[in-house]
Amino acid sequence: MNLPGLDVLRELITWTPFLLTGFSLNILIASLAMVIGTGLGWGLALLRLSSRPRRVKTSLLLTELTRNVPTIVFQFYLVFMLPSEFVLPGTSITLGFPGWLNASLALAMAVIGFTSDNLTTTLHDWRKGDHAAALLFLPNWTSYMLIIVIASSTASIIGVSELVSRCNTVINATGNTRLMFPVYLYACVCFFLFCYPLTRLMQWTRAQLAARLGPAPH
Amino acid sequence: MTDFHHFLRKAGAWMLALVAILWVGGSFAGPVEAPRSSERLALVKQRGSLIVGVKTDYPPFGFLNASGASEGFEHDLAQDIARRLGVSLTKVAVSGANRLQKLEEGSVDMLLSTTGDTAERRKIVTMIEPNYYSSGVTLFMPPEQNINDWSETRGKKVCATQGSYFNRIMAQRYLLELQMFNSARDAKLAVKDRRCIGYLFDNTAIQGDLRLPEWAGFKAPLAPVLGTPWAIAIARREAGSEFERLLGDIVADWHRSGFAIQREKVWGLPASTFLADTHALWKKLDASGKPLCEREVSGHWPSVCRNPVFLNSTDTTGLRRLGLWFKENTGLDLSLIYDEYDRTRFLLGLGTTVLLMLLCVSGSLFLGVLGALLAEAKVLVISRLIWIASVVGRMTPPLLVMYLLLFGLGSMLMTTYGFSVSPFAVVVWCLSFYTGSSITTALLFAADVQRQANPVFQLRWGNMRELVATSSGHVTAALINVSKATMMASAVAVPELLSVATTVMTENGNVGVMMNVLLLTFLLLIFATVRVLKLLERKLLGMSQ
Repeated sequence: MNLPGLDVLRELITWTPFLLTGFSLNILIASLAMVIGTGLGWGLALLRLSSRPRRVKTSLLLTELTRNVPTIVFQFYLVFMLPSEFVLPGTSITLGFPGWLNASLALAMAVIGFTSDNLTTTLHDWRKGDHAAALLFLPNWTSYMLIIVIASSTASIIGVSELVSRCNTVINATGNTRLMFPVYLYACVCFFLFCYPLTRLMQWTRAQLAARLGPAPH
Repeated sequence: MTDFHHFLRKAGAWMLALVAILWVGGSFAGPVEAPRSSERLALVKQRGSLIVGVKTDYPPFGFLNASGASEGFEHDLAQDIARRLGVSLTKVAVSGANRLQKLEEGSVDMLLSTTGDTAERRKIVTMIEPNYYSSGVTLFMPPEQNINDWSETRGKKVCATQGSYFNRIMAQRYLLELQMFNSARDAKLAVKDRRCIGYLFDNTAIQGDLRLPEWAGFKAPLAPVLGTPWAIAIARREAGSEFERLLGDIVADWHRSGFAIQREKVWGLPASTFLADTHALWKKLDASGKPLCEREVSGHWPSVCRNPVFLNSTDTTGLRRLGLWFKENTGLDLSLIYDEYDRTRFLLGLGTTVLLMLLCVSGSLFLGVLGALLAEAKVLVISRLIWIASVVGRMTPPLLVMYLLLFGLGSMLMTTYGFSVSPFAVVVWCLSFYTGSSITTALLFAADVQRQANPVFQLRWGNMRELVATSSGHVTAALINVSKATMMASAVAVPELLSVATTVMTENGNVGVMMNVLLLTFLLLIFATVRVLKLLERKLLGMSQ
């Protein structure tokens, strides 16, 4: 009775390097999406605070659009519509356009909408001189990154070799259906162990900032 | 009442007339025009023997048995033609390289030699309609591989041989990562060494390999795709002749009578969907009880019975004609509008997606509110459990939990209790649980904020409304997100919009059109969802304030 459990554990240990490399790709996809999305979202937030109504309107429209595109569909769109490799203009160098980059770009769309909405209030607070309130953006931003890390698992649908996709690879390669439950559970634990400490840390940071802010005026 | 009946009857008659104009077009009941006489058929009858070019190196379609005699699926078909013509059968072995030339120079009367029917070849020879078989592309896989659907092959390493026409298309449409080999032998050995998940090849060629003891246990479970129809070929100058008409009638009879399916079974071929679909189509009767697939006055088969690949706008009527005309002139294939099959599938997918959205939004709201109420009830163990559940729920990817429940737990339930889990229900549960956890957290946070002002505040059903009002931003955002996330269902083969669109796209090759339609449809769907949710928010919460 004990033996199959041990076997499963041994299998999981054998596959750990393979699975964890996959998980690092999840974090890479999410980080890149955050960087791209925050940069572009920042631009939209600045436009929203502009004194010219036309710029504000354009920014609001673009923000609305990025909020409405489902990232999973956009991921498919990019994968099928962008060439998988392209030649650098003016040279003969061919560059690959890997699937994980498509996943990052698709997730970045969601980040743009988030940043545009949140940074608008943050920038507003900052300009008023209310720096502590503006700093609340950081824990919010980190919490959103965790949502994006969770969402990066959908890259497996377009065949990106991240953690979820690698779970399927392990199950298919070993042909052992009894491994299914433990392997998926293992991946769940990976996501949880990454997200939970960070969430606690952000809750703590938020509490510290709130304490420094003093009692909320509203 | 009778007036209404009268109106209905009249409207019905008009509808019928309209349908008749759209679908039947110029075909009026009448005697079918006689074909011109055939020199070749006269020669066959005079000679008393039919010379057929066949394959002898392609088991089980045409091969040499242990005693050196040639036999196979196609040999049986050739034998049947000779029997019906009342002549003897002479078989000539041909190869892929020389078969068209042998037909051209007249050393064979016809070819029944795994010949793919293509527009290019139709310029050189006459292809008999209907097609008698169809091959496709599949994966030759090792025994332990657990892949049962093409969508599971995305991004996987797949072995292939250089120069196959389908490599590029398969890589693009199915997102395969191809490992190229110089010969089929090398590619198959790479599969044996598990250097790829399988070998991408013609499904009929794979059938031969699967019979060999060397590959015992190997399999090809994926439904063949990129189907190439096979046709009997006769000389180009025999187009429109009595010979073509006769052969077409014989093939049609193979489909109607089920002879082709019966021979398929005899040779141990896996049941081909092409033969099953064609059998069903050719047995179909029209409204007046006559066979649907009967020759029109011109001698052609009706366009519904022909392979859509070879139809152009002048062969068809109605919406399809318009669609094909548009495709021929712009290159844009709007099959989901003019093709009834694609259109139905697309609408069903749309319906499934809308249903998923509705169920997931209401499920999330239900679980979220229920969780918050139970947690606030301050029953020690339950509150703690709810808190744990909402933390775990938010921090595990719903897609992963779907796999865990459906395949991990589902396979256990199946083997132990014979109980199968519905993917649709699992998707609704997982997405509702994930989003419900966020809603619970947001509501509990709002309750904490309330407590700062009023230390005895406790969340109950009665004061839920005012609490939702303070956290409605979070709740609405979570509900919009869950309606976007319903596309995840495509990963577990729920036929929603995304999976339907990718299927139509891979079958028709209209990638650009389908992707744009898909994105636009989802934008509109989400836009509508946002509007509806904001409206509900205003109606429900606005009244309380």
